[in-house]
Amino acid sequence: MNHNPQSSDGKHDDDSALSDFLASLMDYTPTIPDELVEHYLSKSGFQSPDVRLIRLVAVATQKFVAEVASDALMHCKARQAAVVKDKRDKQQKDKRLILTMDDLSKSLREYGVNVKHQEYFADSPSTGIDPASREE
Amino acid sequence: MKKKKLKSRRKSNSHSHHEPEPSNPSDFSFNITRVAVAQICKSVGFGRSRVTALNTLTLVATKYLETLARSATSFSGAANRAQPNLLDLINALHDTSLHVGFKGADTLYGDDCLLKSAVLEDLSGFVSSTDEIPFAKPIGRTKERETEGLKPSPGGNLQRGRHIPEWLPEFPDLGNKEQSIKRINGETSWENSNSVLGHQTGEFEEKRDGNNGGKLSKERRKVKFWIKGDKRENLNRFSGNNLFSQSVDEEPEVEHKKSKAKQTLVYRRRKKVQ
Repeated sequence: MNHNPQSSDGKHDDDSALSDFLASLMDYTPTIPDELVEHYLSKSGFQSPDVRLIRLVAVATQKFVAEVASDALMHCKARQAAVVKDKRDKQQKDKRLILTMDDLSKSLREYGVNVKHQEYFADSPSTGIDPASREE
Repeated sequence: MKKKKLKSRRKSNSHSHHEPEPSNPSDFSFNITRVAVAQICKSVGFGRSRVTALNTLTLVATKYLETLARSATSFSGAANRAQPNLLDLINALHDTSLHVGFKGADTLYGDDCLLKSAVLEDLSGFVSSTDEIPFAKPIGRTKERETEGLKPSPGGNLQRGRHIPEWLPEFPDLGNKEQSIKRINGETSWENSNSVLGHQTGEFEEKRDGNNGGKLSKERRKVKFWIKGDKRENLNRFSGNNLFSQSVDEEPEVEHKKSKAKQTLVYRRRKKVQ
């Protein structure tokens, strides 16, 4: 395994695109604050004075979380669409989207994280009830 | 009896309502991350969330961040650098996104430049396509903590850690290399003694190049070991009963024939030890 990070064939092609991206990171404020990222980075032995790298890590994490969350949202919407129509009308008034453990574990599985909660564990008083008929 | 039963039920009830806490519930950083993750979830379209789901997602996010950092650090460590750079981070991003797959994952570590990575392109697309959602509140940075770890040692110019008590003496002067080679009794360390060939020419120095790192700069001559059983009293104290000599020497050649039987004996003994 020969990592040769300094090899620069074809570097010039997207040099400008990359430097533009890195420069845009200086202005972009990720949702995860720099201080927090720095804390976790230093916990793992990552030391870098470059703000852009820290921003890049923050953006990568933000993207990961956003992807997982949007997948969970898709699962949530698909489940709601699968409900029989007359039931759906009844439910229409409270069509708020709620991030639940079921959807989250389904979406996390695609990212290689197996989440399992105890089946008898009472997440909330309405856990055992069918999620469609559940009133929030 | 009934009372007891009730009590136990209440106990178990309260236990079951107890949320699955993160590994360190009082962790300040965890709570801040939870706010950020909640903000991201809201931006995606969720209106509400279960506490357990949010906790789980936050925990996964922190693990992801730490994995990324650890992987980048190990890549930089493998390249003999203390501080990770962009390329280490790209390698780490590749490693963490292998589960999902990305363009060019089959030619990873190939001749392609890392800067052309599809993961990085995705990230730049993400940055340009999503609106900025700044964190809810500014967080104070603890700047003074960086400097309080070190303090000058009394008298010397060396810095020493905070954990070293005041009453301990300062660090000894290490001196230069020449001094450190000399010993008090006039002894020299093994690698500087005459029994090692090429000790003064620096033949064993490694030459580190960009391309062929770790290769020796010169070709080494063949080295043979003779075991001279009967000349033990003359031997150098550093080399024990093994004396290094070159194959061009004639004297050992003769001796070799003489004491062949002896030698094989010693050789067997050595083999046993090994």
